[in-house]
Amino acid sequence: MTPPLLDLSRVARTYRNGDVVVEALKPLDLVVGAGECIAVMGPSGSGKSTFLHVLGCLDRPTAGTYRLDGRDVTTLSDRELAGVRNRQIGFVFQRFHLLRDETALRNVELPLRYAGVGRAERRRRAGAALEAVGLAARTTHVPGRLSGGEQQRVAIARALVKEPRLVLADEPTGNLDTASGDAVLAMLDALHDRGVTVILITHDLEVARHGGRQLTIRNGVVAEVSPSVVPRIAGGGG
Amino acid sequence: MSSLVAAAVEGVRHLARHPLRSALAALTCAVAIAVTVNVVSLSYGMDADLRRDIARFGRLTVDVGRTPVVRPGAPRASFGEAELATVRATVAGLDAIVVPLRSERVTVTGAVEVRQMVLAAVGVGFPRTLAIGLKAGRFLREDDRGLAACVLDESSAKSLFPGVAPADVVGRTVRLSTAGTPSVAVVGVLEDPMTYRALFEAFDEGRGARTLISALLSFRNVYVPEDGIASKELTTVSVVLPDEARLDVAFERLTRLWPAAGVDADPASLAPINVFARKAWMDAFGGSTQTGAFLGNLVWILVCLVACVMVSTLNLVEIRERYDELAIRRCEGARRRDVVAQVAVEGLVTSVVGGLAGLPLGFVGADVLARIVQFPFRFDVRFAGVAVLVSVVIGLLSSAIPARRAAALDPAAVLSRRLS
Repeated sequence: MTPPLLDLSRVARTYRNGDVVVEALKPLDLVVGAGECIAVMGPSGSGKSTFLHVLGCLDRPTAGTYRLDGRDVTTLSDRELAGVRNRQIGFVFQRFHLLRDETALRNVELPLRYAGVGRAERRRRAGAALEAVGLAARTTHVPGRLSGGEQQRVAIARALVKEPRLVLADEPTGNLDTASGDAVLAMLDALHDRGVTVILITHDLEVARHGGRQLTIRNGVVAEVSPSVVPRIAGGGG
Repeated sequence: MSSLVAAAVEGVRHLARHPLRSALAALTCAVAIAVTVNVVSLSYGMDADLRRDIARFGRLTVDVGRTPVVRPGAPRASFGEAELATVRATVAGLDAIVVPLRSERVTVTGAVEVRQMVLAAVGVGFPRTLAIGLKAGRFLREDDRGLAACVLDESSAKSLFPGVAPADVVGRTVRLSTAGTPSVAVVGVLEDPMTYRALFEAFDEGRGARTLISALLSFRNVYVPEDGIASKELTTVSVVLPDEARLDVAFERLTRLWPAAGVDADPASLAPINVFARKAWMDAFGGSTQTGAFLGNLVWILVCLVACVMVSTLNLVEIRERYDELAIRRCEGARRRDVVAQVAVEGLVTSVVGGLAGLPLGFVGADVLARIVQFPFRFDVRFAGVAVLVSVVIGLLSSAIPARRAAALDPAAVLSRRLS
């Protein structure tokens, strides 16, 4: 059996909004094996982004234990979490989230800079990543001079360049036309085929079909759409 | 080191991408540095001038003098040949030069008439009691007798012969109001040691020292030979010692005979005859110049603090606009300290660039001001170092709060638009 890459046990996330406590993510148990591709669906405001941020170590759960590749990341310091994000997790966002004043090459170099990789090596690896997503001719372009599909491919190259164990894609095709969306999905499929674990957040059923498992989130509760495929999944609190 | 260089490069790149805001922040720093350079130059120049002036007042001289202010009805102390002989005997063996001085108030007429000038009859050793030189001509010699020759202070020369250069005053004559005196030939002009006469007079006003030596040390005198005044009564006897050790010995011996007059003594409470160490007066004046330097420093420190607040505000506004960028960086592995370093380096680069621009601005400004207000702006190559140092401090202070704000940013909140 594939060892689990993600192991969440009773993980929950609440926010305090004045005197009101918002349960953005209700207690959740989830195990994701290395190399899996999971699609997470849910309407706006259902807690998808919170789920993704917790998985991406951008946000700390307020309860429960989250093990990433066997390591309990809930106890890590801020600095250690930055290291985990830098080395193990690739992010692809709906709004691309590229540095708008930087060229495509420098955007892709970004995680390598924080990893302390030397300039020449950064250039080489970033160039290769851009070439892999078909943007070898666009390395000196700033995001404003790239189409939406190209920007998302730059974002994928940025995720790709650090050779992550996990890629989190938040509505990766949400801002793209069909052709560009298909190309992006093909790239995510290719990553999955290379053994990278992909968590795909979407509200598009067609996109969700790319996942080997489908989860839904509604009001902070995660549920399994195809339970027979899932070894262990339990959305707490209903 | 390489990460610091990388952060600096990032900082420069970021500033280049936002030229207007960077220029505004740099200009604020430049103005602060220009003011700093101006104030430091002025303070430095005045301090140097004052120290030079003070040094001319004869640090190694002790004066024994009769108090001109006496209580109503009290007899005026006798201070003449007997006291002069006592002074000579007291300082014997110390290689001292003893210079008696008699004085009286006279009206002197040169090109114009000036009332209430001090006519000082002095020995030829008088210049030794001070450290000032001649502006023109010569000082009195042994063969000058009576009222055949006189030497003017530069200030006296300017009053008596307005608009005439000191060298051209030599050879002219002045008339004294002393009964029966003919015209007296001016043989020399002593240079004025008071660059900031108003400052000296303000300091001296109301101090006990004034009653003893201020009339003489106001340097508005007319010097004539020792026998130029008929009265045998002395005003002061100045004793010049070769070094501080012997000065202290002389002062100690003389104060066994007459009380010491402190710098801040109440003139009305002075003894009829007092001993006065110029060193104490010079030290007190030197100390008072530090107050001016303190005020000057306060000005530029305040200006720099205002610059810090302004640049800090600009940086804070900018940080708010860069939430997305900072969140992406954090997302991709930037640690809080990377973000702090980036913001701090950007602040430093802005302020140092501004400081380097402010340096010549300050020099030019000071030069223009020096021409207009005739103040002694004096530059030193070390000011460049001071300017860079102050720039660094401004950069660090002005980016401290923004850097903290940036580092505390919650990337998840920004990316999910809970914070924007």
